[in-house]
Amino acid sequence: MVSKSKAKVLPKGVSAADFDKAVREIRAIVGDEHVVVDEDKLAPYRKIMMPVPDDQHELSASVMPDGVEEIQRIMKVANKYRIPVYPVSTGKNLGYGSAAPVQRGQIVMDLRRMNRIIEVDPELCTALVEPGVTYQQLYDYLQEHKLPLWFSCPAPSAIAGPVGNMVDRGVGYTPYGEHFMFSCGMEVVLADGQVLRTGMGAMPNSNTWQVFKWGYGPTLDGMFTQSNYGVVTKMGMWLMPAPPDFRPFCIQYPDEADITKIVEALRPLRIAMVIPNAVVIAHTLWEAPCTPVKRADYYTGPGAIPDEAVKRIQKDHNIGAWNVYAGLYGTKETNDANWKIIEAVAAGTGGKIITQEASKGSQALEYRFDLMKGKPNLGEFGLYNWRGGGGSIWFAPVSQAKGAETLKQMQMAKTILGKYGFDYVGEFIVGWRDMHHVIDLLYDRSNPEQMEKAYACYDELLHTFAKEGYGMYRANTAFAEKVAATYGPVKRDIEKRLKKALDPNNIIAPGRCGISL
Amino acid sequence: MYARRLAVCLGTLAALTAAGGAQAEWRDGGEVYDKVCRYCHEANVGPVLKGRALPEEYVRRVVRMGNRAMPAFRPTEIDDATLADVARRINGSEALARE
Ligand SMILES: Cc1cc2nc3c(=O)[nH]c(=O)nc-3n(C[C@H](O)[C@H](O)[C@H](O)COP(=O)(O)OP(=O)(O)OC[C@H]3O[C@@H](n4cnc5c(N)ncnc54)[C@H](O)[C@@H]3O)c2cc1C
Repeated sequence: MVSKSKAKVLPKGVSAADFDKAVREIRAIVGDEHVVVDEDKLAPYRKIMMPVPDDQHELSASVMPDGVEEIQRIMKVANKYRIPVYPVSTGKNLGYGSAAPVQRGQIVMDLRRMNRIIEVDPELCTALVEPGVTYQQLYDYLQEHKLPLWFSCPAPSAIAGPVGNMVDRGVGYTPYGEHFMFSCGMEVVLADGQVLRTGMGAMPNSNTWQVFKWGYGPTLDGMFTQSNYGVVTKMGMWLMPAPPDFRPFCIQYPDEADITKIVEALRPLRIAMVIPNAVVIAHTLWEAPCTPVKRADYYTGPGAIPDEAVKRIQKDHNIGAWNVYAGLYGTKETNDANWKIIEAVAAGTGGKIITQEASKGSQALEYRFDLMKGKPNLGEFGLYNWRGGGGSIWFAPVSQAKGAETLKQMQMAKTILGKYGFDYVGEFIVGWRDMHHVIDLLYDRSNPEQMEKAYACYDELLHTFAKEGYGMYRANTAFAEKVAATYGPVKRDIEKRLKKALDPNNIIAPGRCGISL
Repeated sequence: MYARRLAVCLGTLAALTAAGGAQAEWRDGGEVYDKVCRYCHEANVGPVLKGRALPEEYVRRVVRMGNRAMPAFRPTEIDDATLADVARRINGSEALARE
């Protein structure tokens, strides 16, 4: 059959004729200008940072609905022609897949136009938002309405948004930093076009959707995170009253091996909530590019940067081997009392405290301190000037919050990265009892050899960590299948059975997080 | 005491139970520059753009395609007309004042 389709690629198993028919029907639903098939115009969706060819994540089209009803109707068309759609909210999952689909040929459903802040309740401190809302937009809204409420956001806060971040179970840096935990109530369009409101939202006339998460019976919200069982069209989130006194600080430590005592000293404070926010323990090489320090000023040879050069960076720029970021959130009185504990802990462990006053002029400190109060910025993009070339994938295993464990993970990662010539650019983000050990595998995406090495390096990291029983908290789309496989067959079987029940034609983001029929 | 202070903070605003509901749109290219571009391009992350008479077509293209680590921006994020305004403003801008 001769293809007349304008699409450069087609979804697997779909004929050009059927694809064109589907596109025509979708155009009738959302309007011509909200469907793009033209290869040039799809460029912004195609840009990825992962070490695989763009081709692997090429999309066939993008559709930009505005409203639940349009999405319901698109689902009908997708089912009719068995065409997979890949929903994104703000589409800035940079280093995890960006806005490109998990599998070649899928239609990206871009929800960025749905950007309404539907409700903010200043008494209950809750918000209800659509997927296209950015953190910057929510920040501006709260400022404009003079609402003293804070939210927690990830580092790319100015351009990313709460719904996309939460459904991928992202993290931030205020006391509400575990974002899924502080979400409350979702609205989801299912593959058959039905609209589900989770928790109390399922009940007609309920006014408790954004305040009580569980509802009655099994709680379903988790099923719509890191999955492909529905398109999330609204999400409730909790906001934090701005504390009368906020005291962010950094504690710097001189040696890599100090991670052990740092974690042992901080864990009790975090579990007891003396430190209420997600503490970050950042390595020198995370801080350096954001300071900014140029790698080439310290090392231009082959392979990973030597420890000796890292030591020089620490000395020249007043950066710790580890840099602990946390804050006190309370009143002056409570913070004064807790500050004494922080000072004692720092003194007892050989750390140097840097206060907000002392942080002035350091870009790395300032963007961190802003993130700890949910003030959007993009300071962390400094990371990308370290190796240059726009390559980045996050390797993000979960660790216990125990000193020996963090040291072991750090050493394992550093050894494997070094073998492939990459630097250890890592941090630990402390939950209550766990840590997200987040490593940015930075490489030059314009260099084919580095592309290959970055892929092989991630692969080795993943499998070596899995052998030790360490699993990922989240993964990029290129490695979704491999990461899912590390969690064993029973879980995958259940995920598949759920997929079959909810989406028998496999039309919502097949392959996302390794789930497909 | 903490609770009382907070209650004072928020109490006066209770009436505001802010129901938004409107679709957000950019005011103009200046707002986009301030709320997006500036975070990198006036912060030692990306190159300074102002005062270089960068061709408008070049700015528009880089925004849509991305460039190395710079993310690409879709028309749903910045529509064509507003992007054209961003490019015009960057092209005609004065150099940043040095501190
Ligand atoms: C320098 C840098 C620092 C970063 N720091 C952090 C950080 O501190 N914390 C963190 O969590 N992340 C971080 N990230 C990763 C990422 O950029 C953020 O998590 C970002 O919030 C995700 O993009 P998004 O919000 O636009 O979500 P999207 O890209 O819109 O969504 C993410 C994924 O979720 C799924 N999805 C999205 N919307 C829906 C929907 N409505 N229904 C169903 N499925 C959906 C899709 O598979 C999509 O690909 C960082 C990235 C960079 C480049």
